[in-house]
Amino acid sequence: MADFREQSKLEAAILALKAAGIDADDMDVFSEEPVEFRRGILDRPSRMSLVAVLGAITTGGLATAGVFAAQHNYRLITGGMPVFSFWGTGVITYETTMLGSVLATFGWFLWESGLLRKRDHNIPVPTVLPGVMCLRVRCSDPHVTRVRQILDSAGATDTVRKEVA
Amino acid sequence: MATSAPELPYAKIREDLFRPLSGGSARYWITICAALSIVILGLVAWSIQVRDGMGVTGLNRPVFWGFYIVDFVFWIGISHAGTLISAILRLTDAAWRKPVTRAAEAITVFCLMIGGMFPIIHLGRSWLFYWLIPYPNPRLLWPNFRSPLLWDLVAILTYVTGSVIYLYLPLIPDMAQLGEHNVPWRRRLYRILSLGWTGSDREWHALERAMKLMACIILAIAVSVHTVVSWDFAMSIAPMWHSTIFGPYFVVGAIFSGIAALLLVMGTLRRALGLELYLTKHHFNNLSKLLLLMSLLWFYFTFAEYQTVWYGNEPSEMAVFASKIRGPYAPFFWTMVFCNFVVPFILLGIKKLRTITTAMIASVCVLIGMWLERYLIVAPTLGNPRMTSAAGVYVPTWIEFAITAATFSGMIVLYLLFSKLFPIIAVWEFKPHPVEEE
Repeated sequence: MADFREQSKLEAAILALKAAGIDADDMDVFSEEPVEFRRGILDRPSRMSLVAVLGAITTGGLATAGVFAAQHNYRLITGGMPVFSFWGTGVITYETTMLGSVLATFGWFLWESGLLRKRDHNIPVPTVLPGVMCLRVRCSDPHVTRVRQILDSAGATDTVRKEVA
Repeated sequence: MATSAPELPYAKIREDLFRPLSGGSARYWITICAALSIVILGLVAWSIQVRDGMGVTGLNRPVFWGFYIVDFVFWIGISHAGTLISAILRLTDAAWRKPVTRAAEAITVFCLMIGGMFPIIHLGRSWLFYWLIPYPNPRLLWPNFRSPLLWDLVAILTYVTGSVIYLYLPLIPDMAQLGEHNVPWRRRLYRILSLGWTGSDREWHALERAMKLMACIILAIAVSVHTVVSWDFAMSIAPMWHSTIFGPYFVVGAIFSGIAALLLVMGTLRRALGLELYLTKHHFNNLSKLLLLMSLLWFYFTFAEYQTVWYGNEPSEMAVFASKIRGPYAPFFWTMVFCNFVVPFILLGIKKLRTITTAMIASVCVLIGMWLERYLIVAPTLGNPRMTSAAGVYVPTWIEFAITAATFSGMIVLYLLFSKLFPIIAVWEFKPHPVEEE
């Protein structure tokens, strides 16, 4: 784990580590506020938008089907008007569609951020001070010296090696 | 050579924004106790209503909707303060929004909680409220899915869910920080609520993406919610209700009252929690301009609505129109115009007069005016139905006044408790900034 105070140095370290064959998935940056990297530095692809749309379609569709089924099973007297109408159900479809996208977004946020997944508590998590960015790199024993050299030469202020218990 | 203003360091920001969470002044507890006693009075009034029935209220035939529905529309309207304003500012990346958004989002959640209670209170037999929920039951009765009242239930449930999540998401990083150093019970609470947040880039990425998406979704929900509330009225053919502009008219009114509530809350918190360095004149100035814009829009919609009715000269509509303009409701109508248009126009339109104090005065006036507007939509129309022989008058009783007062006090209690449990400004979003000269 290495502390950085300047984002440019952190970015240089990440690029150098990637060039040395370290996978982006083995790197994590810890900070007290979000750090925005340029495209190509440490991209984290996301499917959140897609999941939100799928959640919306599923919930909206299920709710509309539920209303359809209910109206046909327990027929109201409508004076010759159709029992089910999209005009009459439109608001329910719309709101439940939105509800689906809200719940899907939240659920996917928990999954994608890793908050919901079972953690490996053996992997150390750094305590980050305000204004400091800590880069955590997971690597096997033979690579430790090389990784350390890269981090130091990129300008890390404090580099620490921690074993996974 | 110009010198730049000194910058607030992050450590000071953290200390200033976390400080209000610990301890509580005598004034704080006195306010809580005073507000709680009014809430208790409201609960007593409600229990009397539950015991004796709806006859204890001023509701009668034909005025079967009164204070409760007025309060419902009013609180749901104010709820637009938060989430909608926060979402618009977040999507447009307005930098000045950062100290404002959480205060706004909290207003939304509490207003929805309070507003959502009114249909239940209005039912009379409140314990049967679950009949509104569509579920198969032995009575073989399903709610009428074509009823705007059921649409309301679905819309508000969606809005509450979205707003709670929208408030909760940006609270997670702050709660993780608070979980590090605190008294044991708070540490446990914040750790549970922060879900083990570590501040990794994966978490930040996911949070920012979720917030952007939620802002888009919540905007669409917020607009639909108040449109659906307006359809409770507009879908009937009652005079001065059956109007196509009711949807946007209600949305404009909701945002208008929402901004006023936000300004009032911000002004109060600024003084009470000593946040003068964070909630600056700049924020009040920007929100005052927004309030002025909404005041002009509200006036435009009101004028358009009344002008069309007057020009149509349809007898049943003119009966309602006359009762508002020169009849028994005239004092309320002209007070509404004064509060919603004249006061904001003068106090916020003239640059020299636009200060934090005048913004708060204008906000109080707007809230009074908007409550009256809701009252003037509900009572005069029901009191002057199309069948003139069925006309009636609505005189609210102390029960309705007590329950209405209790909700305002309830809002104060909820907000005060929230401000003691969670930082009212998002610390992680608040970057060091130059100190603004007052």
